[in-house]
Amino acid sequence: MKLRQQRNAPMLYAVGSRLLALLSVLFGVSLISFAMIHLSPGDKAQAIAKARYPESQTFPTDILNAIRVEFHLNDPFLVQYFHWLKNFLQGDFGRSFSSGATVWEIFVGNIGETAILTVSALLFGLVLAFLLATVSVWRPGSFIDRFAVALASIGAAMPSYWLGLLLIMFFAAHLNWLPAYGTGSLSHLILPTLTLGLWVTASQTRLLRAFFLEAKSAPFVETLRLRGVSETEIFWRHILRHSAIPALNMIALDVASLLEGAVIVEIIFARGGVGSLLAGSVLSRDYPVILFLVVFFALTYVAINSLVELLQDLLDPRKGWSSSITCTSVNTEQTS
Amino acid sequence: MTSIETGHDHLQPQSKPSRTTINRRFKRSTLLMPLAVAAIWCSALMLTPYDPNATNFLLRLSPPSSEHWFGTDQLGRDVATRVLYGGLWSIGLALVITSVGAVIGTIIGLTAGHFGRAADVVLMRVSDSFFAFPELIAAVTIAGLLGPSTSNMVFALIAVSWMKYARLVRSLSVSISNKDYVLQARLNGLPPALILSRHILPNVLPNLLVLWTNGWSRSILSISGLSFLGFGVQPPNAEWGAMLLDGKTYMQTAPHLMIFPGLAILFAVLAINLTGDRLRDRLDGR
Amino acid sequence: MLNIQRLGLSINGQTLLDDVSFTVEPGETLCIVGESGSGKTSLLKSIQGLMPAYFEGISFQGDRQAEIRQKGQWRGPIGMPGSRWVMQDPIAALNPKIPLGQSISESLYRRSMPKMDVDAAVRQALLDVELNPDVATRLPSEVSMGQAQRACLARALIANPSLILFDEPLSALDAVVQKQIAATMKRIQLKYEIMYLIVTHDLGFASAYADQVMVLKNGKVEANQTAADFFHDPASPYCRDLVLAARALGSLSGPAIPSSYERGADV
Repeated sequence: MKLRQQRNAPMLYAVGSRLLALLSVLFGVSLISFAMIHLSPGDKAQAIAKARYPESQTFPTDILNAIRVEFHLNDPFLVQYFHWLKNFLQGDFGRSFSSGATVWEIFVGNIGETAILTVSALLFGLVLAFLLATVSVWRPGSFIDRFAVALASIGAAMPSYWLGLLLIMFFAAHLNWLPAYGTGSLSHLILPTLTLGLWVTASQTRLLRAFFLEAKSAPFVETLRLRGVSETEIFWRHILRHSAIPALNMIALDVASLLEGAVIVEIIFARGGVGSLLAGSVLSRDYPVILFLVVFFALTYVAINSLVELLQDLLDPRKGWSSSITCTSVNTEQTS
Repeated sequence: MTSIETGHDHLQPQSKPSRTTINRRFKRSTLLMPLAVAAIWCSALMLTPYDPNATNFLLRLSPPSSEHWFGTDQLGRDVATRVLYGGLWSIGLALVITSVGAVIGTIIGLTAGHFGRAADVVLMRVSDSFFAFPELIAAVTIAGLLGPSTSNMVFALIAVSWMKYARLVRSLSVSISNKDYVLQARLNGLPPALILSRHILPNVLPNLLVLWTNGWSRSILSISGLSFLGFGVQPPNAEWGAMLLDGKTYMQTAPHLMIFPGLAILFAVLAINLTGDRLRDRLDGR
Repeated sequence: MLNIQRLGLSINGQTLLDDVSFTVEPGETLCIVGESGSGKTSLLKSIQGLMPAYFEGISFQGDRQAEIRQKGQWRGPIGMPGSRWVMQDPIAALNPKIPLGQSISESLYRRSMPKMDVDAAVRQALLDVELNPDVATRLPSEVSMGQAQRACLARALIANPSLILFDEPLSALDAVVQKQIAATMKRIQLKYEIMYLIVTHDLGFASAYADQVMVLKNGKVEANQTAADFFHDPASPYCRDLVLAARALGSLSGPAIPSSYERGADV
């Protein structure tokens, strides 16, 4: 009984302190987002009025004042912040200045496109990265290995918007095989998926290759080799399993930056989605939408990061929560 | 002290000074390539006969030729010259952004690590909160809200780039301050400022340098990306991303407008990344 | 003379050291022996003021000026004036980015001497530890482990301390270098009449160099005897086991004649 207490106390403490950290980060994220909007120059009442009455250019002061009262724009910063936070926590994200629809409706209408693009790019990119990493660790240092590494280096240095433009230029403008811009059919998805997917490939190939190589030279693999297990079986049964957890961690962390890449890709290909929504809202100063999207991206990042940390803790044999799976701990701080 | 020359192993200066030489040679070759590139680039800037913003309507959208190596753009400006000058914007601004970010991050990281628990908790939570915003999304939002301009973009990119340095410096400097040699310095009565500058910072610096190189190339991508989206350097300034934005319209008739600025970004980022990789290998090899 | 009376240390309700008292005479060596976790290193740290230990009294050199604290807990600045500390791992104890000479000269920081005098002192200290003075310009990564430990010894020596604390100074080194450095330590001690307080695992070393042996067990003094008494007539069954075990492992042979070190040899 005593032993158990000793084991559980630090665990509870760790969970508690992590929860506390998470809460403070969430609070920080909301405060920074709100402050960013609040501190941005320009008269918010003017922006609202412009969105409400698109035909007029100037507005009488009494209308602007009425708007200020309606949207609590005269309140002190903290009052406005907590007012917004309260509504936000209750699921009331406000209405778009320009369309009048609720932010949630607009968001739901756009997130689907982004999700489809992200998932298809992730799948395509990972499959390609897996293939490249597999053939390259087969014979480290061989021509094919160097080729894969070089490809990954170039891919990592390639601006995704330029790659997108090149693809448009070649496949859409020159060969006329695929539509360049817009959303809709499956063929619209191909070029954006390629653009974003190749970015995933570039960032994951080197990591996967490093994990495979590390597993390949691990002592337990040497033992298997001495026992006469074939290289093929070692790779498929042992190395893959050994690299799965660190690789999953890195992939999960990549999803956050993938959303970031999706924003650019959506803008280049003039697709629907939260990326183009963000760019459009920033240009038209649709503050409620901007605020919601910024918080959404940050929360997604925090959620993914917390999940990865939780997964690491659960699988880390040193913490004794689970003992069956070994896991090479990955230093996420330095690679991210 | 007669035993100085007794021939014991520990008395001899080590017979192979080779290691230092190798290190120095390595240092030189790691630095040589970027320096050579910078030299060639500067001389090209001086040698080019064209003004990056001089228009020539007789020679609009002309393809690459012996006169204009990279062709001319929609206003008849020499693309090669503009690509050369564009580097000043992209690489130079990225250098400024990364360096300012690194300095801010270092100061915050050191403060968090060495000025008490309260400062640590507050600063690290703040930097974690900032970290949650994806770099480019936050930069688009800030630059967009402040109004598209170069200085707003620089501000936005600094605001989203300092956290990684703060994290690195904090964790590294805390672990270094627990080392025995720092304890010896404390026992010898060195004041904290001297311990920080003589013992802690020099040992943080190599890792910081690798991260800084990495951040530099990422900033180039961010700057040209933001300019391409219209939130950064504004035309007619010759920034690579802005040039791509200009050239996008003439994609079919004048593809060279898109190819050369893009290649310039690719090579700049690749060169800096490779230098960074070499620095990292050198560090790991120790 | 160093005299420690009733030193105690407890952290988070756990007693690490309890009622530890001992005396070291000038020019003498006290070896502190004990298994890991017995509080040896904590004792050194407490003496240097790095841990919140409490004392009945410390007197050092019999000098009222240097008497650190009569009673109660240490709150002063860290580091006991007139003493230096040589650590176990010389590589960890030397800043990899600065030359050995600078590391050594830091020991004189409090004295604010002119640079020329400092350089001369560094040179003399390096000669004392039998290193070529040229190594002052080398980085720790450019010298051998033994040379690095000698540099650490020079860093301690340059301050003319009357007491040097050693925390397993030889355990990071290989056997031949261990012997050479042990001999150097002895030579320096004879030359400058320095008190040595050496934490060690190696009873062979203790039997060759200790004047006094103190055994710690679970933070308490198990025995505190002269070396001759300890090896001939250990004060407790635990100490007898220690001596017998060392003999069985071959680091000690015969009743008091060590095999790996020879008492008084090579000095």
